[in-house]
Amino acid sequence: MTALLENVLDRAPLGVMVRIARIDWTAMSEDEGRRLREFGLMEGCEVTPLHRGSIFSRDPLALTVGRMKVIIRARQAAAITVESAA
Amino acid sequence: MTGAIPSIALVGNPNAGKSSLFNALTGARQKIANYPGVTVERKAGHASFADGRPISLIDLPGTYSLTPASLDEAVTRDVVLGRQDGEKRPDALIVVLDAANLDNHLSFALELLALNLPTVVALNMVDLATRDGLTLDAERLSKELGVPVIPTVAVRKRGMAELLAAVDGAIRSHAAGEVAVPAKANDASLHQRARTLARAAILSETPVRRWTQRVDNVVLHPVAGMIILLALMFVMFQAVYAAAEAPADFLEGGIGVVQQWVVATFPDNFLRGLVVEGLLAGVGAVVVFLPQILILFLFILLLEASGYMTRAAFLMDGLMGKVGLSGRGFIPLLSSFACAVPGIMATRAIPDEKDRLTTILIAPLMTCSARLPVYALIIAAFIPNTNVGGSPVGLQGLVLFGLYLSGIVGALVVAYVLRRTVAKGTGAGFMMEMPRYQMPQLRDIALGLWQRAWIFLRRAGTIIAMTTVVLWLLLTFPQAPEGESQVEYSVAGRIASGLEVVVKPIGFNHDIALALIPAMAAREVAVSAMATANAIDAGDDEEAMAQSLGERLQGKWSLATALAFLAWFVFAPQCISTIAITRRETNGWKWPMFMVGYLFLLAYAAAGITYWTAVAFGLG
Repeated sequence: MTALLENVLDRAPLGVMVRIARIDWTAMSEDEGRRLREFGLMEGCEVTPLHRGSIFSRDPLALTVGRMKVIIRARQAAAITVESAA
Repeated sequence: MTGAIPSIALVGNPNAGKSSLFNALTGARQKIANYPGVTVERKAGHASFADGRPISLIDLPGTYSLTPASLDEAVTRDVVLGRQDGEKRPDALIVVLDAANLDNHLSFALELLALNLPTVVALNMVDLATRDGLTLDAERLSKELGVPVIPTVAVRKRGMAELLAAVDGAIRSHAAGEVAVPAKANDASLHQRARTLARAAILSETPVRRWTQRVDNVVLHPVAGMIILLALMFVMFQAVYAAAEAPADFLEGGIGVVQQWVVATFPDNFLRGLVVEGLLAGVGAVVVFLPQILILFLFILLLEASGYMTRAAFLMDGLMGKVGLSGRGFIPLLSSFACAVPGIMATRAIPDEKDRLTTILIAPLMTCSARLPVYALIIAAFIPNTNVGGSPVGLQGLVLFGLYLSGIVGALVVAYVLRRTVAKGTGAGFMMEMPRYQMPQLRDIALGLWQRAWIFLRRAGTIIAMTTVVLWLLLTFPQAPEGESQVEYSVAGRIASGLEVVVKPIGFNHDIALALIPAMAAREVAVSAMATANAIDAGDDEEAMAQSLGERLQGKWSLATALAFLAWFVFAPQCISTIAITRRETNGWKWPMFMVGYLFLLAYAAAGITYWTAVAFGLG
């Protein structure tokens, strides 16, 4: 489990493109899951985390999906397992 | 269908440039109202086909699919399915796509096409797609989708004629087939298909190093970004005061001239008193705020149109998350600095119900522009116009800043408490698309400002005019015998004397008690009420209008009382419009009553503590 933690989007380094390996849809509500897919966040797609949090907190996370830039919360990013896109 | 004016709905994802397209098609010929039963704005407008036949257009709230996540998205679904009360099903759809975001926006387009309505796709913002190194094949996309695809640049009005011609054609050639009910499609496969279609339509894609990313690196930087945000807010509030001064003085002078003209022209009778002391003094005291409200809205509209507002929401999300809100709430709360009514209406974009409820309940704690006249009057009269300890920071400005800050801190504390008690729920989500930076379009901003100004003036002309007239009547009757104060002797004066008993412990006097009741109609009426009472006391002496009100108060109030009055207005109980909008937004009386109750308690406590502290320091 600890090894897996390294591979979640929430922990991924900023500015490096990664591929989404798996999304734990059970970790979020039906609506949240659908909105993620509407943003284009699905298994197999490539994303680049870009900005994380502010002086107040680690939340939220901004990332690019294709040509779009979206904001999600760390909680959702923690349910997304990523792998190297190289 | 023959004879009726065809109605055409604009549908699309958020940030697809839908509103710009709507403005480009309709110009100023548009009308904003609400859908019955919900406060989602219904934007409708008129245009015509090339041969002059009129059409009506409606601009639907942006959404990602026909499965809504928030109230405004539900309206879009209901209208296109013909389920929205009081709105007939559109005769045709214009599906607006962001050309640079095809793979994403096509999913919704596919869902809409399955409805089997006459449809045309507007491939919008093709210029920005080109800037990003994309070349698209509109014809190929049109073949794949089976409907016309028209490249458009709404902000330059490019492609508008072609778009309307295609809509005309689509309506004519549409076979009146079965009205399709959306199949509960597996959304993942829909997204897959959208991506395949997008790939096919993209002729070439050159990666361009986007300058916008470099901007975001600074603007979203944890420290630098926050400094920029604070600086922008500072400039905004400075501008509200500094830039509005000249036009406000001009309006004030204009109203004074009209008053003097009425006094000079008409004989002294009941009607002249009503017009001069009631209507002109009362409504005039409110209308002078128009410049400030417009400047505040100008900033908000610019921040929104440029794409910065979502960045601000990103930065604020961490802080707001700590008290159980989300960055989504930042936009409604910022609008609430202008007025809580549009602020509360803007909360409908917040998907989480409890998050939204909490945002509604704290919106009135943002110092709305209606409180400005009250603050401005009291500060000018009681706070010395000096600098703090030799620095360039003025004491008056500092007090004003403190009042704003108290409201914000109060709101955060209240949100924290509410989210752990009456509005308990899971942590609110924050999922939002970050729009690209764009140059705000003069036409869109001007239209937005015009609409705000109109709403404000209509309010001043109706609710505020009515309350000041009623108050004037209550202040004028019964006529006081010689030697007695008219204000004290009148019905309003007697009601105020009753109320004075309740507010005396927190340092409030008869003047304030008198102003508090009509201030429920609109907070700024506190000033116009005092102005009207003052005008009646002063008779026809036009010297004794707004200008001298501060001086008169100086003579009558202690500093402790003035400070308590300011503290009261930080948490001031609602104006009637806010209560009404809260009732509509929360579907009942429970929450507006709760809001009024807690704000009353807070206001009473804050004023009391301020008064007692000030008296203890010998300022009583």
